[in-house]
Amino acid sequence: MILITILEFLLIAIFAMALGLLFMGIARKVVARTQKRIGPPFYQPYLDVLKLFGKDAITHGFIFDFGAIMAFGGMIATLFFVPIGGIYLYSMSGTLLLVIYLMAIAYLGMAMATVGSGNPLASVGISRALTQMLGYEMPFIVVLLTLIYSSGTSSIVGIMQAQQGGLMNWNLVNVPLGTVVAFIALLGLMGKKPFDAPIAPSEIASGPVVEHGGKYLGLIMLQHSVSIVVKTALFVNLFFGGASNILFFLLKMLIVWLLATLIGSVFPRFKVEEGVLFYWKWPLIGALIQAVIIIF
Amino acid sequence: MSLSQMIIIPIILSIFTYLITKKIKSAGPIINIILSGYILYTIVNIYGKWDILSQSLNINIMGNNFNFILNNSPLAWLLGIMTVGSVFLISIFSVSSQKNVKYTASFSFLFSILMGSILGVVFAGDLMTLFIFWELMTWSSFFLISSGKKEGAKKASYRYLILSTIGAYLMVTSIFIIFNQINTLEFTEVANYLQSIPTLNSIILIVMMGIPFLIKAGVFPLHIWVNGAHSNAPKEFSPFLSGLMLKIGTYGLMLLLYLVPLYNILDSSIKFRGLPVFNYILALFGGITIITGTILAIRQEDVKKLIAFSSISQMGYIVMALAITTPLGFAGGLLHLMNHMIFKTTIFLTMAAVIYRTNTTKMSEMGGLIFRMPVTFAAYLTAIIALAGIPPTNGFISKWVIYQALIQKGYIFLSVAAFFGSIGSFMYVFKPLSTVFLGQLKPIHRDIKEVPILMQIPMYILMALMVLFGVLPGIQMNIINQIAQYLNIETVQSTLYTITGAYGAWNSLIIFNVFVGGFLIALIIFVFAKKSKLVGLMDTYTSGEYMDDPEAYHYAYKYYRPFDRIFDSFAAKSLTRAYDTFAQNITKLGNLFNKGIVTGNGQTYAFYMILLIVILAFAGWMI
Repeated sequence: MILITILEFLLIAIFAMALGLLFMGIARKVVARTQKRIGPPFYQPYLDVLKLFGKDAITHGFIFDFGAIMAFGGMIATLFFVPIGGIYLYSMSGTLLLVIYLMAIAYLGMAMATVGSGNPLASVGISRALTQMLGYEMPFIVVLLTLIYSSGTSSIVGIMQAQQGGLMNWNLVNVPLGTVVAFIALLGLMGKKPFDAPIAPSEIASGPVVEHGGKYLGLIMLQHSVSIVVKTALFVNLFFGGASNILFFLLKMLIVWLLATLIGSVFPRFKVEEGVLFYWKWPLIGALIQAVIIIF
Repeated sequence: MSLSQMIIIPIILSIFTYLITKKIKSAGPIINIILSGYILYTIVNIYGKWDILSQSLNINIMGNNFNFILNNSPLAWLLGIMTVGSVFLISIFSVSSQKNVKYTASFSFLFSILMGSILGVVFAGDLMTLFIFWELMTWSSFFLISSGKKEGAKKASYRYLILSTIGAYLMVTSIFIIFNQINTLEFTEVANYLQSIPTLNSIILIVMMGIPFLIKAGVFPLHIWVNGAHSNAPKEFSPFLSGLMLKIGTYGLMLLLYLVPLYNILDSSIKFRGLPVFNYILALFGGITIITGTILAIRQEDVKKLIAFSSISQMGYIVMALAITTPLGFAGGLLHLMNHMIFKTTIFLTMAAVIYRTNTTKMSEMGGLIFRMPVTFAAYLTAIIALAGIPPTNGFISKWVIYQALIQKGYIFLSVAAFFGSIGSFMYVFKPLSTVFLGQLKPIHRDIKEVPILMQIPMYILMALMVLFGVLPGIQMNIINQIAQYLNIETVQSTLYTITGAYGAWNSLIIFNVFVGGFLIALIIFVFAKKSKLVGLMDTYTSGEYMDDPEAYHYAYKYYRPFDRIFDSFAAKSLTRAYDTFAQNITKLGNLFNKGIVTGNGQTYAFYMILLIVILAFAGWMI
């Protein structure tokens, strides 16, 4: 029994990593095509990860190691609560708020590792990332609360099931303004342009990952791949009605991911406080209007 | 040990503590450890003996019969054990940390009185007893705050005293109005009386009684004493001030909201989404407190001020949750009350440890202490994970319950405030983590060692409590449900590791499993990969610059400058300054009054005296 559970844990984790890396490869290709380049093959991220784990690496002390493990572990723990197609390990009935906060473990681990490296560029990146988080989370969470209130449950599976029965039941149609707001928040959540001030390669040398190399960068890439899966899957579950068929589900995830990538590939970057103020302006107002419409 | 002995013995013994500590410096904290340890043991033993231990003392003053009552209820028991527990832990901490402090004797003396008086407040069964011990508490804490080493201690404690005095006047007035009417001050009688008179009158009385509690709880706009008092108090007293004293204010609020069922009184008044507007406004004040505290906490450069503002913001959660008077709100508020005490005490203690070693509270003057003080770092890390509300620690559970309570009724604006505080807390708790413990070590701090073992013990205990209550919230829910039953509120369904909310249930066992699972997978990948080489913190990517000064290479000052820029104009409008202007105007008015009347001429004063006698005679004749 325990063995089966462990096996399930491992299989889901490996599947998500593979899927996330595939998405990253597709994104690189798509971005290249929008910029009239040919771009690397779609399997390039797999090669990158394999190469990184084979290289020598340097560490800056135990907090650097611990943070990297915490970041990756926290993201995998989040993954187990997000249903992917028909597959989910745990569907506790209070998962939605939990998932948002579980992701914070990964952020905290990442932040500790990078600041623990002693490089001020990393600290600047983290300070920007946390600031921006306060920006995008506000409208996002208002939308989530609206969804919880209208669906009468705070479980992700429950919200998914409440949307069954065709396109007209999807939250995309029922909560249109909220969907748009959540999508804008998703761009910030995934660090896509125009909200990529925290990693800004040309200003702060990729910020948080400036000191990471070898297996540490490999872990960060894996963590990033899992986080892509978690976030797109969450979005599909909440607004696109989820799917019981895994293929349909992956297709919907790919659509969300491509949309985010395409938008990200054409925009310049917001300054961090501009980004925050932007989120507190139109998206927050939109989210509040949506909430008032649904609740009152 | 009876209830009255528990209160009186610390107060009387404190004088001997003072005299002994004057001679032997380390005796004071040790006496306090023994005393609080024994009282802790007693309180644990009176668990479950509700209402049967009550004591009363009848005193006849000028024809009025005052009945002083002490009673053991579940709520009183909870706050009692929290008080004595934190006195116990802080006393253990003080044994080592107060070796070089000037005022050890008076600290132990006042701390002992304070413990007795807080026990008096929570076990009080009538308003008069509550008031007497309330004042004793205010005065002893006033002297404790003013004994702080820093420059601002005097001013901060003075501000605290002024606000407390205003509160005390209001409270004593309302007490005598009630006493005049019903000749008794027992809680249940008072509650019945307040329900029998017209709504407006009872609201006025309740507001008068509530303001001192709101002042102690540090709710906006009465929070101005909190940050000065917390940051200037002696480093061993700040944990107690934040962890416990603020909660005594919410204890008073609970008495007003639940024991005097404010909800019944206001049942016929205007409502917003099923909640009387009065309650909603109180909850809204809680929300404003959260937002103000968060924004100001992010700006601070002084670590104790930062934590003080964070306390203000966390108290907002408790007030908000209690004000919405649903079973979930009550449970969430009480859970957060306990959890906040645990993690805030830890944070202040770890900071006291850092200050003990570095002798500074400025964050930009520290850095890289993690390799020197690993235990302190571990305790701080656990505490901030709890404060930021990240599973699997206790802080998340209480916030989760509060969110459930907010969503259940669809209070969207209150939820926005709550989430703002929660995500903002990531920012302000990460600032000390990053600037004090991580980053570059200052050359002057190269020889720092971990704090002595006696200062580490309280940290270990508190860390264990945070994880324990994070995995088994049922322990806390058990006592909360008893309190709810005692106060005639519906209980929230719970088992040892599950809590049922409005929209879904909480199961901490699953979360703990998953967390361990995720962590193990990451660990396996990490361990099986190639071993890495350890290099120093200065050996980093610097875009080709040559760096040799760790002090200049540490990013700490104005950590969130882009964010602060958004709120610069907001922070410039200081509420404290507004109050100061008000006070200046009053002084001006008084001077104007002085000019005409205080002439310095003896004959004028003689005239005033005659005038007074005439007025009194006239008044006596009229009555």
